[in-house]
Amino acid sequence: MGRLISCKDASRLISQMQDGDLPFGQRLRVRLHLLFCDACTQFERQVRYLRDVMRRYSQ
Amino acid sequence: MTDADFSAQIHAHRGYLLRVAVLQLRNDELAEDVVQDTLLAALQGKAGFSGRSSLKTWLTGILKHKIVDAIRKKVREPVTAPLEEESQLDDFDALFDGVGHWANPPANWGDPEAELSRREFFDVVEFCLDKLPPNTARVFMMREVMELDGPEICKELSITSTNLWVILYRARVALRLCLEQHWFAAAARSA
Repeated sequence: MGRLISCKDASRLISQMQDGDLPFGQRLRVRLHLLFCDACTQFERQVRYLRDVMRRYSQ
Repeated sequence: MTDADFSAQIHAHRGYLLRVAVLQLRNDELAEDVVQDTLLAALQGKAGFSGRSSLKTWLTGILKHKIVDAIRKKVREPVTAPLEEESQLDDFDALFDGVGHWANPPANWGDPEAELSRREFFDVVEFCLDKLPPNTARVFMMREVMELDGPEICKELSITSTNLWVILYRARVALRLCLEQHWFAAAARSA
């Protein structure tokens, strides 16, 4: 199993996931991190929500 | 359709096009220029309008290209801070403690879908977009409003994908923090 990543790393990868696919190993580390981290789970939801916000904003 | 009719129909969409351009360029003067260019290109390219899509959709397509051109010129202007300065990671350090935990963990926003129909919410969104560094805001708009993908943006702006990820990360982190402070936390306090 890969090493655990910090919130700092996880949040950067979560943002990157919005812009294309992450390599499998990194995606797995993010998923694993999210299982145990409520703060980053919120961050991930909010980043996806921002996309909806921007689409609505420009209509 | 006569040229005069076509011209009149095109100009009927001017207000809409200008609104889109201002939102994306965040500069009224530049937006005026871009819309003027778009209308001119549309008049000259009348033959290219097949009528299969709506006139508004066709004009919006032309406008997108003009906006991308304008952004590309803008980020290369020596008077604005170079894009490189907005793609450094150092200033994110304050967001995390020494071992990489959130200094202020993102709060639960509950079910924020309802906010999407509130005009006041979008006033706050606009306020938060205004606080972003200008090029960061432009790149973020290219990604989320014009829906260009990463490789397209990198090509248009001649930046690396790592630069792009940092810029978009910066935009998202700053926007979520600003929305939390000025909307979601305020709503929680008054609830």
